[in-house]
Amino acid sequence: MRHLRFSKLAWILLTYIILTVFAFIYLVPFIRSFVASFMTWEQASRYPPEWIPNPFTLDNYLKVLRLELFPRWILNSALYAGLIVAGNILFSSMAGYAFARLNFPGRDALFSALLALLMIPVFVTLVPNYIIIYRLGLVDNIVGLALLSLANVPSIFLMRQYFISLPQDVFDAARLDGCGPIKTFFYIALPLAKPALGAVAVYQFLGAWNAFLGPLVFLRSPENFTLPVGLSFAFQRSMWTEYTPIIAGSLIAAAPTIILFIVLNKYLIRGIAITAGKG
Amino acid sequence: MEFVGFKNYEVLFRDLARGLSGAYYFLAPFYTGLRNILLYTAIVVPTQTILAIVLAAFANQRIRGVQFYKVSYFLPAVTCPVIIALIFVWLFMKNGFINYMIQLFIPGFAPDWINDRNYLLYAIALVAIWGTSGHFMVSFLAAMQAIPRDVYEAAMLDGAGPIRRFIYITLPLLKPMIVYVVVMGLIGALQMFDLAWVMAGRSGGPGGAGYTMALDIYNEAFINLRPGVAAAKSIFLFALIFSITFIFQKKFKVMPR
Repeated sequence: MRHLRFSKLAWILLTYIILTVFAFIYLVPFIRSFVASFMTWEQASRYPPEWIPNPFTLDNYLKVLRLELFPRWILNSALYAGLIVAGNILFSSMAGYAFARLNFPGRDALFSALLALLMIPVFVTLVPNYIIIYRLGLVDNIVGLALLSLANVPSIFLMRQYFISLPQDVFDAARLDGCGPIKTFFYIALPLAKPALGAVAVYQFLGAWNAFLGPLVFLRSPENFTLPVGLSFAFQRSMWTEYTPIIAGSLIAAAPTIILFIVLNKYLIRGIAITAGKG
Repeated sequence: MEFVGFKNYEVLFRDLARGLSGAYYFLAPFYTGLRNILLYTAIVVPTQTILAIVLAAFANQRIRGVQFYKVSYFLPAVTCPVIIALIFVWLFMKNGFINYMIQLFIPGFAPDWINDRNYLLYAIALVAIWGTSGHFMVSFLAAMQAIPRDVYEAAMLDGAGPIRRFIYITLPLLKPMIVYVVVMGLIGALQMFDLAWVMAGRSGGPGGAGYTMALDIYNEAFINLRPGVAAAKSIFLFALIFSITFIFQKKFKVMPR
């Protein structure tokens, strides 16, 4: 019996060691860059690596913020993410509501077709989308780029599932009181759907803030870039003699998503686990 | 715009044939991209899936601090791939942090990851595994926690240790989730773009070692200005993704119970 308890203890110990080693592996690039962003490049590139900034310097952040376009890129990213979040809250919830609560011919076939869209790689629609946006004269325009993702399939799916889960009685009662479908949507369905709308907003924000391919293709002039595109061009290795400002800039750009994730970690992780389970 | 029949596909298959006959990469970048992305997928998808399952199995016990582990494993998944790649370019430098850590285990092994054509693709693959395995670990953990406890308790009464419980109970019950994770991994890996763009550059880095099909499609459409060829190549990529995931799903069909 003592032998059994010992092996159980050893197993638990092994579990903690493995989990902690991997937590270290996943976290260390962030910790290392955070520390290095306060170092001079001379110290950050020293071998073996050092962990305490000496001298402590904010130079790297100042150098990045002195880049003329960096604040502009932050604003562009915020505008792009804002447009997409707003668009998805309005249009994806409308589409989700229609698929969940309205009866119209071909509804289910249409919904299956919509889900099938998930399988198509972005590269297939890249050239046709570019032609459409080009013909509209909206290339190099953040609004034009945002137009492409004002509603998207995962958000519609999430909203539909949520509206289906609401009790039918609520909608029946609204109809008896004389609400048409539009009034029901705005006065009954939307206020009830706040949790789902929050989820859509957060996922779309993360997606839009981190988006790279779309902005890279559709935005042409540097003052219209979003952060990821701007960083990928401004931080080409050949242009900098030191790497620490690049790290500082990357951390500034990643800060909103990291903070959002840490604040909302419980909801985000649960949400992703749930949507994954449906696959 | 005019109708050109199969001309764009002809370009595509001529590229392929030229690559297969053994010409250098710059004669047929498309072939290089295809070869690289298949190798990359063959490395990334199995590794990240197995790593995610094993980590989830360890975390799926009565231990404290599961939320801390989940948060730290998940953090790479919410960070922009471009930013991750920028940071890893620095960590992968010859005298960088990763080589320092490797030296603790394998003395004398210090490749110049980013500038060496033999290691560039592996560096990108390592970053991809690092970036996605944590996300999938959380999915697996959720699926494992849905498995009823009494199944395990029955196995424990029959004298099955943790490893045998994992192999004979957890894995079979996890099959739908494994299929889902592998399919999502395949879809993501086969159209990898952001990491290669930053770590290898638009033309694929030294010797085209980091060139991918996605980069090639971008170059055709927006650098060579041959949108027709780019569209043909993107359809080829779609067919590739579709057939690989289709074959996989067919082979590991989840039996309805």
